[in-house]
Amino acid sequence: MSTIDKVTDIMRDLFEDYSGPITPAIAAKDVPDWDSLAHVKLMVQVERAFGIRFEAREVSQPQNVGELVALIDQKLAAKG
Amino acid sequence: MSLAPAQFAQLNRLIDLQLEVFPEHRGFLTKRFADSDAAHLDFCEQLSGNVFKIAGSDIRRIVEDYRWLSDMVLEEELFFRREGRYRLSKFSDALEQVYANTPFMAKYMNGLLASQLWWRNHTEVLRYFRDGFLPGNRQGFTHLEVGPGHGLFLGLAAAAPNGASAEGWDISAASLENTRAALSAMGASAGIALKEVNIFTAPEGQFDSITFSEVLEHLEEPLAALKILRGLLKPGGRIFVNAPVNSPAPDHLYLFRTPEEVRDMVAAAGFEIVDTLYAPPSGAGLDKARRQELSISAAVIAKKSS
Ligand SMILES: C[S@@+](CC[C@H](N)C(=O)[O-])C[C@H]1O[C@@H](n2cnc3c(N)ncnc32)[C@H](O)[C@@H]1O
Repeated sequence: MSTIDKVTDIMRDLFEDYSGPITPAIAAKDVPDWDSLAHVKLMVQVERAFGIRFEAREVSQPQNVGELVALIDQKLAAKG
Repeated sequence: MSLAPAQFAQLNRLIDLQLEVFPEHRGFLTKRFADSDAAHLDFCEQLSGNVFKIAGSDIRRIVEDYRWLSDMVLEEELFFRREGRYRLSKFSDALEQVYANTPFMAKYMNGLLASQLWWRNHTEVLRYFRDGFLPGNRQGFTHLEVGPGHGLFLGLAAAAPNGASAEGWDISAASLENTRAALSAMGASAGIALKEVNIFTAPEGQFDSITFSEVLEHLEEPLAALKILRGLLKPGGRIFVNAPVNSPAPDHLYLFRTPEEVRDMVAAAGFEIVDTLYAPPSGAGLDKARRQELSISAAVIAKKSS
């Protein structure tokens, strides 16, 4: 499963009322439930699903799905 | 563009002030007020009037402190979602880091004051207190609030037409200072005694009505506190207990995972449950809030049998 597919699964569970597309360009403003609190939940579920741990500043870093996917891939690569 | 209809002028003014210092909050507040009916907005308008009164020339500080509170809550949220528990578990740590820390506590209570409007569950509970709890008290009721903080609940109790007298007890001198200033700004301070009291070493007393809002989750032994409160209530007296579920904060120790856990604890302390309100946060219904394990306010009205 690709990174974006796994992220999509997590987002579908978390943002249950959103049925629009999930593409790299999709950002918090496009998804009504994606507020700062839900963002924290999203990041923790991502940590769990991928077995990674974000630094404090990384938690608020991604501005859209694409940036989140890139960050995850970078962490996975660093983990080796 | 205004987030609430134009006739709610004070509310819109306060929203604008908040967004000036916290523009990133526009999406949240838009969602917060999107599906509010006229009665809810009317209550928000009155509440805004009280917030302006309490703040006086310090209104900017209140909205800035709310922003500070929101950032702090996010940090606690990160810990909570990672670990599945609240960060602190010892009362002595909360006392040292929060209640005895005067500048911190003042900002905290200011932020909480604004949250009474911006967090839908907080607003609903306050309204339930005014319309569902206070009118059911007997004529000439004597009232006690433990942990009055920003003072809005105590101000409403003092203003109830069937009330005779009111007191506030709190462990934090800094918090009592906020309460004192708020009551005097609301014109409600006359004759309200405010005392520095830890509920676990409370003096004797007998009241018709007690408020215990957002204190239970701050305690290592919440059930023991409820039993003490039962002792402070006259037979036939009523208590309003409010505690949040899944709601991390720097001084929250006891984690309630469902609203029913709050209700059941009130019952376990020997009270008869009269009514409950489980209020989900902005943008979610109760079912979704349960499924997603969001913060829910559990307000319980209960009685000491006569
Ligand atoms: C979050 S504030 C609640 C403010 C307000 N009642 C509300 O519902 O928004 C909690 C208050 O409880 C007080 N408190 C905490 N532990 C206490 C204790 N053991 N005895 C008395 N007051 C306590 C704190 O100092 C603080 O003012």
